[in-house]
Amino acid sequence: MTATRDGLLSDSLLEMDGVSVDFPVKRAYPFSKKRWIQAVTDVSLRISQGETFGIVGESGCGKSTLANAMIGMVRPTGGTVCFQGDDLYALKAKAFKESRRDMQMIFQDPFSSLNPRFTVYDIIREPLYIRGGATEAEMKAKVLELLRLVGLDEEDLHRNPSDFSGGQRQRIGIARAIILNPKFLVCDEPVSGLDVSVHAQIMNLLMEIQKTRNLTYVFISHNLAVVKNVCQNVLVMYLGKVMEAGASDALFANPQHPYTKALLSAVLDVTVQGAHDRVLLKGDTPSPIDPPKGCRFWQRCPFAMEGCETIPAELTEVEHGHHVACHLVSGFTPEQKTAGLDRPVAQQPMDEATSIAA
Amino acid sequence: MTDTVLEVRNLKVAFPAPGGVIRAVEGIDLTTSKGECVALVGESGCGKSVTALSIMKLLRTPPSVSRIDKLQLDGRDLTGLTERDMEHVRGKDMAMIFQDAMTALNPVMTVGKQIDEVYRRHVKLGRKEARKRSVRALELVGVPEARSRADSYPHELSGGMRQRVLIALAFACMPKLIIADEPTTSLDVTIQAQVLDVLRSMQKDHDVSALLITHDLSVVANMADTVYVMYSGKIVERAAALELFTAPRHPYTQGLLASVPKLSDDKQAFVQIPDTVPHPMHKPEGCYFHPRCSHTTDRCRQHMPRLETLEKDRQIRCWHPLHQERAT
Repeated sequence: MTATRDGLLSDSLLEMDGVSVDFPVKRAYPFSKKRWIQAVTDVSLRISQGETFGIVGESGCGKSTLANAMIGMVRPTGGTVCFQGDDLYALKAKAFKESRRDMQMIFQDPFSSLNPRFTVYDIIREPLYIRGGATEAEMKAKVLELLRLVGLDEEDLHRNPSDFSGGQRQRIGIARAIILNPKFLVCDEPVSGLDVSVHAQIMNLLMEIQKTRNLTYVFISHNLAVVKNVCQNVLVMYLGKVMEAGASDALFANPQHPYTKALLSAVLDVTVQGAHDRVLLKGDTPSPIDPPKGCRFWQRCPFAMEGCETIPAELTEVEHGHHVACHLVSGFTPEQKTAGLDRPVAQQPMDEATSIAA
Repeated sequence: MTDTVLEVRNLKVAFPAPGGVIRAVEGIDLTTSKGECVALVGESGCGKSVTALSIMKLLRTPPSVSRIDKLQLDGRDLTGLTERDMEHVRGKDMAMIFQDAMTALNPVMTVGKQIDEVYRRHVKLGRKEARKRSVRALELVGVPEARSRADSYPHELSGGMRQRVLIALAFACMPKLIIADEPTTSLDVTIQAQVLDVLRSMQKDHDVSALLITHDLSVVANMADTVYVMYSGKIVERAAALELFTAPRHPYTQGLLASVPKLSDDKQAFVQIPDTVPHPMHKPEGCYFHPRCSHTTDRCRQHMPRLETLEKDRQIRCWHPLHQERAT
């Protein structure tokens, strides 16, 4: 692996290998069993230089935790994160800080991610200031340059975030994220808090910045249409595990996992057509505390089989670079089949309630 | 669908603010019919929620100042009603589904009890009878094990379940009009699909008229029969949903539709509307949309166009309506 890193995989910027992040749950009683939220379990991925990598999933699926683990904000409980060939969490404090400079983040909520008592200038300058080594005049010139780049005026410099609309605040957040010329930018739902007509503006700005500055993006979203339009590679997560991963084109053209299919059909398109052909998932996302032993999706899966409950589905390659973790794809071994593990699961109690409603 | 349920004529709402007046709603006409789902679409700050609250008469005056020529629910005039009279109308004849179920529900009361309250107050049922009806209402919206769930507190339920409880609450007395203010905005996509499904089947099965307030055009496309598009406190376009989505006539509507990314798209650049919504205190002269519009002429800069009726059910406020050429 180390030998090939410089040769074959030279274009990869970030690699994660078997990363897991568990958070301890506060105990209800002093001697009760210690429980863990398994926010991210055994995720491996590789992000190449200059690409846009999409992470898709519902809230609570661990996509933000995964992103935080990527940029050194959450120490994984297992696995390694390699950024530019260095194991990020094995680095000494100084080197770690330097690596961190190359990775920045754009947050979802443009209201809570900007300090309300700071002026725009303070906010955008902050990373430069912390890094040090620049005079006030240099910093000011740099801030102004970026302010114009993201489409704001010089006169906005001494205003507070409260004077700006959501879209403008997100522009400030973008300026702050790119002021240190990072190589790697994590966009955590950058447009979901904004108005529809502003979505496109911010997305186009992000894409333009990526092109001119040769940035690598990780784009986290629950909006599949946006992900499909901007990402080259996509990772679909559910309850902390990878359900399906692959090149965006292949994955959207040929989704294999029932969860991906359900997600896709849950996207409402702006065309007038009834809901009749949609696959509706039953129930809610279960709690990531003590998640199901087998496939994490089995409780909500319309195609669940007996074995899905106990045997975890491994990621299997269905076509080049396209991996799916589902027993429908990988199948069961003959022994498991004779044990009846491939029988469809009997109707769940959930159906009774819905049939009353119907 | 001729029997009108809700009729609003010339609704105006303004808020005094330091340094001026915010005219949130500037003369809106709205009509809904029995069994019809009418959507009011617009971006944040366009006045859609204020419209909803005014119809429910839930806006505090002061601070707000409002004027309305006509507010009729099922033939009954609501304009002159006192607050006490309104209490008998709200929840019984018209009900509202709020966006954030966590704040709309009482956190220290079980959800069953909150639904019981509706029956006890409006139908004057006893404790036991009310609970029976509440459980049925919960079953109707697809809450599993409704009997035991009725004893849960809101925080014990998931987001989707809470939203279902709100729907059950709103439909408890089978009102004539349901106002849903961004009913699914805070939910995940798969849950949103479930909740919309419940909402639509409840509304259609019971022939209730609905006013759906949202910024999400894809929700509109899947729910609404008629759509009103709002911009800066004014209606800019009104059309049947199918027509609006296939052939928008107002440049703003067209821009909104184009800026929604679609799964079927392949292009990299997103279609964008330049600039942002004008500040409610400093609205531009003439047509409010003209600074962002690509068809602007001098006329647009000077005069606000009237809401013209083009054909049946089709109204538009624009000097240069787009031609009906696009037929997808």
